[in-house]
Amino acid sequence: MKNILKKNPARQIVHWLLLAVLALYLLTGFGITEYRVVEHLTFGLLTKPLAFKVHDNLIIPFIVLLGLHIYQQTKKKSRP
Amino acid sequence: MKTFSSITILLAVLLVILNAGIGCLGDGTMDETNELKPVEVRDYQGEKLSSINEFRENSIKGPQQVGVESYRLKVSGLVEDPRAYTYDEVISNYQSYEKVVTLDCVEGWSVTILWKGLLIKDLLAEAKPLSNARVVIFHAYDGYTTSLPIEYIMYNDIIIAYKMNGVTIPPERGFPFELVAESKWGYKWIKWITEIELSDDVNYRGYWEQRGYSNSGDLDKGFFER
Repeated sequence: MKNILKKNPARQIVHWLLLAVLALYLLTGFGITEYRVVEHLTFGLLTKPLAFKVHDNLIIPFIVLLGLHIYQQTKKKSRP
Repeated sequence: MKTFSSITILLAVLLVILNAGIGCLGDGTMDETNELKPVEVRDYQGEKLSSINEFRENSIKGPQQVGVESYRLKVSGLVEDPRAYTYDEVISNYQSYEKVVTLDCVEGWSVTILWKGLLIKDLLAEAKPLSNARVVIFHAYDGYTTSLPIEYIMYNDIIIAYKMNGVTIPPERGFPFELVAESKWGYKWIKWITEIELSDDVNYRGYWEQRGYSNSGDLDKGFFER
């Protein structure tokens, strides 16, 4: 992990953050539509109203991180 | 031989005519009507309706099976004359009304259904609400509750439905009664209603309202309490 971060820390942070946001986005999505199961699996931590709030607030971070990720990848590929 | 053929053809024609005649006239047993499986209405006065199957199941404990024999709809709380009705008493003793109303769920889906039911104010009138009653609390078979202001119930012709799209509400959709809380978010449309309680507690919060959903449940506002 340290070596990866040394190579290009900004890119790696974006990658890992995007993965975390994506996973949370999916989980909270299920927390809305399949709330009985998700509440049970998370020991009552992720309730339907909480899932709604988190899901709604994740859309902008998700778009920003996705945009950054695409930008970084295209920049990397266009390098000679 | 020719005569034999002619007689055969004549008999066959007579048989066909007689058979058709019997079919048209009937013989008594044909008058009996066998009830077929109900078919839901999908178009009402030019308006396209959603299907009963388009609802998403999102109740707190899954579909409930309410036994019609033991079922009682209670009207309780701040009333002069508390009541408990059987299913048949509710559907046969009150004027029924039909209206097309759209249910909008907070999850993002909606369904437009032809609802048939009775006015809650008719039920309440018989129980004679006390003057200090402010809130109508609905209780469901699965323990779910929600509440609405008494003015909303009285002045908006709000019904509890027992039929949707011309079909008796199925168990998974809220049999025997579902509240048609028009202009309110879906979590106000309580299913499997067992009790209608009048209260003066304006701070009462139902199941989802206790968990942060707006107590008014107005469709034109967000569904989270501000």
